[in-house]
Amino acid sequence: MVMQAEEYSLIEQCRDGNSEAYAVLVERYQEMVYNVACRMIGDRDAAYDISQESFISAYDGLKRFRSDSKFSTWLYSITVNKCRDYLRGRKPDIPLDEVTEILPSKMPDPEASMYQKQLGHTLQTAIGELPEDYREVIVLKHIEGLDYKEMESILGVSANTLKVRTYRAREMLKKVLLEAGVSNG
Amino acid sequence: MDKMDKERHLIHELLDGELSPEERRDLLDRVNSDPLLKREFDDLRSVVDMVETGERLAVPPAFTSQVMRRLPAPRVSFRKRVSSFFFGARVLRWNLATALVTLCLVVIATGALLQMQKKGNVVSYQSSVEKSSRTVIISFQAPQAKAVAVAGDFNQWSIEKGLMEKKSDGVWTLEVPLEPGTYHYMFVVDGEVWVSDPSAELFRDDGFGNKNSVLRVSL
Repeated sequence: MVMQAEEYSLIEQCRDGNSEAYAVLVERYQEMVYNVACRMIGDRDAAYDISQESFISAYDGLKRFRSDSKFSTWLYSITVNKCRDYLRGRKPDIPLDEVTEILPSKMPDPEASMYQKQLGHTLQTAIGELPEDYREVIVLKHIEGLDYKEMESILGVSANTLKVRTYRAREMLKKVLLEAGVSNG
Repeated sequence: MDKMDKERHLIHELLDGELSPEERRDLLDRVNSDPLLKREFDDLRSVVDMVETGERLAVPPAFTSQVMRRLPAPRVSFRKRVSSFFFGARVLRWNLATALVTLCLVVIATGALLQMQKKGNVVSYQSSVEKSSRTVIISFQAPQAKAVAVAGDFNQWSIEKGLMEKKSDGVWTLEVPLEPGTYHYMFVVDGEVWVSDPSAELFRDDGFGNKNSVLRVSL
């Protein structure tokens, strides 16, 4: 996919040493990078650091960036790799029985917003329970809304493999949420 | 793959929007007629909805500025640095304090220039020629002399026309109106001794063994 001319111009300016142009790109993509990192890691402080590191690595690697691909795809790829490195160097994931302790009761809280907040927390914890490669496809497919073709570029895995992985990830997420007491309706 | 697995696979394809309208309609018909399949479909649909409609997290403030602070210094080639030094656009950021300091510097510099100009006048008396517009003040220091004249192209080498006036400090001066151009001249002390101007910028041989001083008057 051909990059937008304006974005290409910003990247060229960055390559010429104009760091102000990079600030524009950081502003544009910080929400995307931060959300991916948060959902992958499940810890906002660590996700903040990973997001910062992702942008710094991207800046360092701008000379190697191929302009025939999308900057966002490349940035996703850097972020996912940073998250993988972090997760592999971290202690084992929180066990499921600890997850269930923070889940809401089957009777929703009278305060809807509080319930939504708890539900969000539950979902995040459930995503954190998935294996790393399942978590990646759920985040990219359903939180970032990417298609399998773009996910293929980011993760370096064929679209067909990613489809199967996504199906299994959904099934596992469904199972985790049902076990945690979040049922349909 | 049993029948339920096949149906489950189709539900995933439907969630990905990969079924044709006919396939979609057929699947939904089967889902609505089979409570077990419907439960399967609703649960998956619910999970996907829950993930997709989840709240986007706001980035903490100052994220960008912190990234920018942590960026490595740009590696700029020597050629680019030189080019940027000479041709790069600059922005002057100022405030009241900067303006006041600049004003003070301008006042001090102007005063210093005026002072230097004054001193220059004193020196010029010793250097013999001072140009003021097109009136040139020619001066020569000879405290012991009884008479000094300047003779040159501009007065047809006439001693009478070039008689100079003695100042109290022993410097002889004469104001000569001159058009822009190059003139040769010499001083004549006590009506008989011809002397070159020791502080002239240039000298030209006069063909008689002496060196005329050269004076250039510009616009």
